[in-house]
Amino acid sequence: MKTNTVKSKILDEQKYVISKKVDAFFTDIYNVYMFILRFFKEAFSPPFEFKEIINQCYLVGYKSLALISLTGFITGIVFTKQSRPSLSNFGATSWLPSLISIAIVKALAPLVTALIAAGKVGSNMGAELGSMKVTEQIDAMEVSATNPFKYLVVTRITAVTLMIPILVLYTGFVGMMGSYLNIHQTELTSFTAFFKSAFASITFLDIYASIFKAFCYGFTIGVAGCFQGYYAQNGTQGVGRAANSTVVLSMFLIFVEEMIIVQFVNAIR
Amino acid sequence: MKILKNNRPVVVGIFILLGIVILLLTLFTIGGQKETFVKSFTLNAIFNDVGGLSVGANIWFSGVKVGTVKKIGFHGNSQVQVTMNVEKDAEAHIRKDAKAKIGSDGLIGNKIIIIYGGSITLPQVEKNDFLKVEDAQSTDDMLATLQVNNKNLVAITSDFKSISHKINSGEGSLGALLNDPSFAIKLNKTVENLQTTATNLKTVSENSKSTMANFQEFSGKINRPGNSINDFASDTIVYNRIVGTVSQLQNAATSVSRFTANLKMVSEKLNRKNNAVGVLLNDSASATSIKMTIKNLETSSKKLDEDLEAIQHNFLLRGFFKKKEKNKEE
Repeated sequence: MKTNTVKSKILDEQKYVISKKVDAFFTDIYNVYMFILRFFKEAFSPPFEFKEIINQCYLVGYKSLALISLTGFITGIVFTKQSRPSLSNFGATSWLPSLISIAIVKALAPLVTALIAAGKVGSNMGAELGSMKVTEQIDAMEVSATNPFKYLVVTRITAVTLMIPILVLYTGFVGMMGSYLNIHQTELTSFTAFFKSAFASITFLDIYASIFKAFCYGFTIGVAGCFQGYYAQNGTQGVGRAANSTVVLSMFLIFVEEMIIVQFVNAIR
Repeated sequence: MKILKNNRPVVVGIFILLGIVILLLTLFTIGGQKETFVKSFTLNAIFNDVGGLSVGANIWFSGVKVGTVKKIGFHGNSQVQVTMNVEKDAEAHIRKDAKAKIGSDGLIGNKIIIIYGGSITLPQVEKNDFLKVEDAQSTDDMLATLQVNNKNLVAITSDFKSISHKINSGEGSLGALLNDPSFAIKLNKTVENLQTTATNLKTVSENSKSTMANFQEFSGKINRPGNSINDFASDTIVYNRIVGTVSQLQNAATSVSRFTANLKMVSEKLNRKNNAVGVLLNDSASATSIKMTIKNLETSSKKLDEDLEAIQHNFLLRGFFKKKEKNKEE
């Protein structure tokens, strides 16, 4: 009996190339790759779901604006307050606007926006598509001759990819305003002097790099959310898992991308 | 505010437009600061060392930002050619002999190029001109100088250390001053004496002040016409007479001087034995002989006297002498 169990285990293991988990990981990579390919294929082939894209833009962009603005504003104030002691040690508080603008434009605005969006929008997408999947609504759409991928996935990924850069601009602006408020209160710096000093240290490349980053983060959040939701399994438990793994995966990928893009930008600077 | 589903495209449109406005404002602000949209011309400068200058660095002329660095490239062996984008407005103010140097925006600020100098007599710069370059002191040079200063400071402090050690151990006058109480007492007395001297000096100075006042008064009186001293001082005739008298006195002094010289010569001769007077004065043998001669002469004269007495009583001559006496009596 015991010998039979071992034999069946060996036979089971022989079904996988390496092991069950490793094979699943590589399968996921393949599936993601195919998912992205399908997205591009569907995105550039008619009919285009403009109405749904705009609807998703509204939900992703406009509905996140308040949260993103508040986060950006607080980030600006807190970062200014935290940086002041270090600079005042050198008697260089006049450099605060430059420091804050570099930090916000180059890193904080895209990163904070993407992380907030991953939490709010990504989890929402994962949960929404996951519940649609487990309740077989997606299958029903296929049956009713509607392309669920085009209607549900392409619209959402497109909306997130387009809206995150806009949200990044808002976050940057609001963050700078928050920083100005704090600097004006403490150093009595004028609005013109603050923005002159702030923009003196920023180049076009920094702006382009931030917007490029925002597109990448948006696309990542969209793909992660839609992929996890679209392939959700195991009923309501799978929905929660899809939402959770969307946030975790998005945040992890955002940091990885941040690192790669910084290297890339510094190489061409 | 409840937004109807039909109005969502409008809201999204406004949302996107505002985002784009923020982007454009940012780009234009940066462009304005980097003078991307300002009319400009290029200038060049060749440096030996740019000290970490980067493309986009600011260019200052008389403390005003007039452009940015466009390109940095190697030139020749190891020199660096910097191409600068300078505002067209500044062109009229930068002269052909203006110089460029690498500076920094504050003590630890970014590297910048400073254009300065230029004589008004020369024409303004033209597009693609090369500016003369002055090598600025780099931070390394300054640190090297500071290092020398530090070494000197170490030497000075070690000297001070040994001096203070000597002072503390009572060596030398300064040490004695600080450590020996008797020295301090002496010094105290010296100071007291000095104080007394100073008081005396003060009195002297006050006296001299009054003396000076008297002198002043006296000189004032002298200067005032109508008194004898003033007449004496200001009368030209008296002056000429005095001059004449002085000249005569001078002649007399010359004669006296000559006379003294002659006297000196005579006295010298008198001291010598090669002349009669000298022999008389100086030779003792001659003196003795003269003495003897005089003695002999005295004796001879006595005898002659006796002889002449005898002659008077001689019968041959008695008549003559009697006759003479008779004549005398008459």
